[in-house]
Amino acid sequence: MRKGFVLAAALLALSALCVTSGIAQSASSGPVELRFTVWTGNAAHLEMLNAIAAKYTATHPKVTVKFDTIPYDDYAQKLAIELAGSNPPDAGWITERDAPTFISAHTLLDLSRALVPYNYADFSKSATALWERGGAVYGVPFSNSPVVVFYNQTLFEKAGIPTPADLVAKGQWTWEAFASIAKQIKAKTGTYGYQTMDGTGYTDNLWETIVPMIRAYGGDIWDAKGACTLDAPEAVKAMTLFHDMIYVDKSVVPPGDQSDFFAGSAAMTLNQISRVSKLATASFKWGIAVLPKGPAGEAQVIGQAAIVAFKAGKHSAEAMDFVAFMTNKENVATMTKFFPPARVSVLDSDTFAKGNPAIPPAMMKSVVGYALKNGRILPSDANFPKIDLVARSGFDQLWQQNADVKAALSGIASSIAPLITKP
Amino acid sequence: MTETAALGHRAPSMRNRRRRSERLFAYSCIAPQILGFLCFVLGPLVMVVVYSFQDKNILTGQTAFSGLSNYRTLFTKDPLFYKTLINTLVFTVGLVPLSVISSLLLALALRKDNKRNIIFRTIFFAPVVTSAVAWAIVWKFLLQGDQGIINRSLAIVGIHGPNWLREPAWAMVAVIVTRVIKNLGMNIIIFLAAVTNLPEELYEAARIDGASKVQMFRKLTLPLLVPTTMMITILTVIGSLQVFDHIMLMTEGGPSNGTMVLVYYIYYQGFRFFETGYASALSVILFIIVLGLTLAQWAIGKRLSYQEG
Repeated sequence: MRKGFVLAAALLALSALCVTSGIAQSASSGPVELRFTVWTGNAAHLEMLNAIAAKYTATHPKVTVKFDTIPYDDYAQKLAIELAGSNPPDAGWITERDAPTFISAHTLLDLSRALVPYNYADFSKSATALWERGGAVYGVPFSNSPVVVFYNQTLFEKAGIPTPADLVAKGQWTWEAFASIAKQIKAKTGTYGYQTMDGTGYTDNLWETIVPMIRAYGGDIWDAKGACTLDAPEAVKAMTLFHDMIYVDKSVVPPGDQSDFFAGSAAMTLNQISRVSKLATASFKWGIAVLPKGPAGEAQVIGQAAIVAFKAGKHSAEAMDFVAFMTNKENVATMTKFFPPARVSVLDSDTFAKGNPAIPPAMMKSVVGYALKNGRILPSDANFPKIDLVARSGFDQLWQQNADVKAALSGIASSIAPLITKP
Repeated sequence: MTETAALGHRAPSMRNRRRRSERLFAYSCIAPQILGFLCFVLGPLVMVVVYSFQDKNILTGQTAFSGLSNYRTLFTKDPLFYKTLINTLVFTVGLVPLSVISSLLLALALRKDNKRNIIFRTIFFAPVVTSAVAWAIVWKFLLQGDQGIINRSLAIVGIHGPNWLREPAWAMVAVIVTRVIKNLGMNIIIFLAAVTNLPEELYEAARIDGASKVQMFRKLTLPLLVPTTMMITILTVIGSLQVFDHIMLMTEGGPSNGTMVLVYYIYYQGFRFFETGYASALSVILFIIVLGLTLAQWAIGKRLSYQEG
């Protein structure tokens, strides 16, 4: 009896604690601290963001902003948990991959009214399309980062073969030429010709790896009607070329192998422009080039990230206003140093060309600017996490020496088809 | 008379007061543990069972009672559930005997306290104190296709090793073996403690009766070690049913979901797909499996054990 009483009292005390802490948090007044989630832990990035926040506080003395870093790999998962918790963030970054999931789950605020004073029309239509539903705007892209080819110029010189930039200049920069120089590099230097994005092109960066090739051959993962086209002849042709590169030419860092481009163990890789910072300490000369063309012509691919305000946040008005401020022309120009902009006026300006100290202005315009103007973003879907899991499992059968490319792609297509959201 | 009556009266009341204060002290000592258990073990456990009967999505915030719907989906519409169940079973069946038998044999081999044995005990125990993340990443390098040290070593003797972590048939084997090596040291230490405490007089008597070494091992050592073996087996089974870090770091459940075990699948459903209700139903199934196996092993152990039987 007494034991029961002690237990009940303890439980009551505990629940009272929970309730009071909830009340204490919801009844905020006076100064407002916005919690803003980002995935960067880079000191230079955070310094720039804090400077923007300080400018905002100067004109809005009651509002301060705290940037919280959540590591990129767990970002969406941890963000979802934080949004469901008692101290949710007010605003933050979201990648294009997560956009449909977070928008369709009704977790984001419509920013359209807050954006009015900041000339929203200046943003390129192709960049904002993913974040708009009807008249509502659920995110403002701050990083519009094209996927480009990084190459190790020292290795190309050593092998005595033309670099990707040389082939671009001659108008011969195709995926077949890409495969050919990768093979030559392997034959002449013994070093792999190509490493997929961050070495995870068979798993985490699967889509960044296969989509540029498939689109250049005229295909895609799914079409505008939501029908899966992964087993169409164009996709099969592109993937056959890639499979041959891995298992016949043996010029690609194969699955499971840890050879790294940035350590000089591969001649080329695909990556987003922000990764150029990793080359600052490289022991070799390097260059960047646009993605190769295919039989269907140009197929530049862009990765995106946007700033959003969360519905679960406790300071909606302030959060929306800060997001709009952060993406005004002046602040977008400031962020250009690290993140290629989606504002057309900034993209056309000298600020953009001279924005990234690691890349010469001419290269910035001819590679990054060109890719941005001609590029399309990666496919995304509200059901993406499930599609990704099922597809990866199917692709594991393709990443085998004796795989039948057509049969493997047909298998994947039939298993992901029911998961794709129909428009 | 009055005095004795007064004394007789006072004594039980003092004893009661002392007993009460002792009880209060005892309660206050265990209170933090009990509170922690209620908040962080029992509370979440009860909530998981409640969630498993709900259609709950942590991202949308949607929560609706759905009865047995999650369990129905799990048993009738989710082929991946059966695959993960089989994978978990294969992992456990592959890992437990390998781990228990090898740690028992090594403990017997290293039972004497000499310099050589102490060095070997340290070597076997080193992986236990190594970070699981570092362990998995280093093995990922060692197990690479053509570039890995293991395959390069095999190539010297003319064997073409497989791409261990990327071929469906080998990935599970590689994960099991690296996991066994990682945790072997702990089992060896527990076995060593039991082995060094075996009653010498029984062996003395057996020797006088003319028993051979093999007979002594079969008729004495093994039966005497049954309680320890059972405990190690139960702990290893529970550990292997709950394996997560190795899978996440070495294979991410691949290739072709070949190493997708139940806990990793729960993580996928709960934190990648945000299907909290469904993930909770999977967790309840895992809980029932672990509980069932533990009870079964306990019952078998009792029957086998000389000491407890």
